Amino acid sequence: MRLEKCWFCSSTVYPGHGIQFVRNDAKIFRFCRSKCHKNFKMKRNPRKVKWTKAYRRLHGKDMTQDATFEFERKRNRPERYDRNLTENTLKAIKTIDKVRSRREETHLKNRMKGKAAKERREAKKEHDQQIHMVVAPGALAKDTSTKTAKVTVKVQHELSENRMEE
Amino acid sequence: MATNSASNCFRAGRSLLRGLSNVSSGMLRSQQETPCNSFLAQQIRTFIQMRSNLKVVDNSGAKRVMCIQALKGKKGARLGDTIVASVKEAQPGGKVKKGQVVYGVVVRAAMQKGRCDGSEVKFDDNAVVLVNKQGEPIGTRVFGPVPHELRKKKHVKILSLAQHIA
Repeated sequence: MRLEKCWFCSSTVYPGHGIQFVRNDAKIFRFCRSKCHKNFKMKRNPRKVKWTKAYRRLHGKDMTQDATFEFERKRNRPERYDRNLTENTLKAIKTIDKVRSRREETHLKNRMKGKAAKERREAKKEHDQQIHMVVAPGALAKDTSTKTAKVTVKVQHELSENRMEE
Repeated sequence: MATNSASNCFRAGRSLLRGLSNVSSGMLRSQQETPCNSFLAQQIRTFIQMRSNLKVVDNSGAKRVMCIQALKGKKGARLGDTIVASVKEAQPGGKVKKGQVVYGVVVRAAMQKGRCDGSEVKFDDNAVVLVNKQGEPIGTRVFGPVPHELRKKKHVKILSLAQHIA
């Protein structure tokens, strides 16, 4: 049993899932779901579609170079079953996963480092440019010239009620 | 009188022109829409049925055959099924002649077929390998990829002749 990668979004294709398309030159395109298959049929480039792994890797959104990726590799030689080895592997999977998630977290943190400062800078710029639009809260209360006197309007309730009865 | 008729003519001509311009704009719009809808307009692939044209991917001498009967199933033949076909195009000096009625195994089908694990497989085109009544291939070579499902259908000879197995 082998867990393949989707050609379009690079997610894992579990057995029994998705569709595979075999081109006449015997290249196999595996897709994890119909979404990826349809995007392929529309001749979209996965490097230009924002939700794919290829795009995120290309644009520095995700961690690309890490030692933890080396463990996940295609091996064509079948391994002879060894109980101890299997046990160790299963233990290692958890550890490696923990390490990778931690590193991904730090990568994200590094990527977002300048974000708060940048946002503050932009807000300050906008504030400086648009300050003339802001009116102090006390200014409206003082300025009575624009205010108009209240006009009371008589509303005829009785007439409408009579009509309803009819 | 003359001026009146002339003005009438003019009006008619203008209305005609307007009609033409409307038509042309409509055509333009339809042309613009087609590339967006190209994936929607993509042909839905179906069974190999009577009058389906198939490519012959062996060296039996036939180039194109037309299905005249699917030997299994009500709707038609799918990947791995056997069909009866008539040779429509053949190379001179081959083992089969034009107009001959032959048996063939569908080795590639554009319609997807479910695999034993629940995933699906589909190919670029509809292709067939000619066999005799006993199911032995007429040619001695098979071109392009063939699916491993043929083993289940007892066509091991075709699998061993094939270049690629998908």
